[in-house]
Amino acid sequence: MLRQAPPAIVPPKREAPHLAVSESSAHRYQLQDPDVRLMLKVRDDDAAAFDELMLRYQNRLVTVLEHLVGRRDQAEDLAQEVFLRVYRARKRYVAGAKFSTWLYTIANHVAANALRSRSRRPEVNISARATESGGFGTLDKMAVAASGAMPTRQMDKAELRDVVREAMQGLSERQRMAVLLNKFEDMSYADIASAMELTPQAVKSLLSRARVNLKELLEPYFDDGTRPQ
Amino acid sequence: MTKHESAQPEIDDELTAYLDGELDAASVRRVEDRLARDPTYRGQLQKLERTWDLLDRLPRADVGEKFTKSTLEMVAVAAAKEAEEVNLALPKLQQRQRLAGVIAMVAALAVGYVIGRRAWPDPNEALLRDLPVIENIDLFYQVEDVDFLRALDREHLFEDAEGDNAS
Repeated sequence: MLRQAPPAIVPPKREAPHLAVSESSAHRYQLQDPDVRLMLKVRDDDAAAFDELMLRYQNRLVTVLEHLVGRRDQAEDLAQEVFLRVYRARKRYVAGAKFSTWLYTIANHVAANALRSRSRRPEVNISARATESGGFGTLDKMAVAASGAMPTRQMDKAELRDVVREAMQGLSERQRMAVLLNKFEDMSYADIASAMELTPQAVKSLLSRARVNLKELLEPYFDDGTRPQ
Repeated sequence: MTKHESAQPEIDDELTAYLDGELDAASVRRVEDRLARDPTYRGQLQKLERTWDLLDRLPRADVGEKFTKSTLEMVAVAAAKEAEEVNLALPKLQQRQRLAGVIAMVAALAVGYVIGRRAWPDPNEALLRDLPVIENIDLFYQVEDVDFLRALDREHLFEDAEGDNAS
């Protein structure tokens, strides 16, 4: 169906990031980043290139968004919104950064909007839901019972995963985004700064605070089984 | 959100940047020198590193074909909608162009009229101006001397005739 779509040239309703770049920078990114070359094909209405980009990024994008918003179903909805925005913005695309940086700039906007909307609506949080269902309720006792040397090794992998997930949710939204881009996307401070529209120095501080916060959230669990609040 | 007030934020920044490979060569040497001789500093680095490594426990998504298919369908719908909007927008554009053409044509006609009026005066104006003479032309033919006619006019002898014509 996509391949049959005509090359529509209607401006998108929402603005996607547009970077003013020199020709030399655009040429450099085009040479260095195969995804930039794909996106330039998408700009020329090559639907196969869009499919390819989607396949390359869909799992990565949903992973980042899931840990950012804390819910898989919402992460998938947001990822679809991001891809839709990429498509709508294709005619204005310029190779002003790595493709992933451009993509995560859009993702950052989409996620921030979603989190803002959600904060206006009261909702049961993940920890409360899990405790109600009995999923996490016994973990504290289990962790305390599993006292002794190297508790990390003794804990069930799924439990540890849940604890780490809770610790992530204990970070601020911006810290979480910076951590996810750094950890999962292996992005440099400069690229994270570009995606989050911050200075590299601000990203450095954000990541430093995030690491310290994670340490403080997780250490009590390893020490005495206290879960992250 | 945790409210952390580190006693040594600069050290945290430095160790984080070191772990992320974001320090320049000179800073890396300085950090590694200190790590070699300061066990507390080394312990701080290890704690940061350990919690960071725990993030590898977070699950990675594998969305599958259903997600891909539904996303592509969404994009295809958007593409079709865009095409429809283009088609709808086109007649409006043409209408605007036609309206602009009509306005330009009317303006051109108005300007042409003014210029034409100045270049070629209306011959009817001269006829209207000469109407009293034309109306009495038979009478004027009977008198060959213009001075005599002017003398008659001064005596107001034509007024009745004009009044009769007017009525």
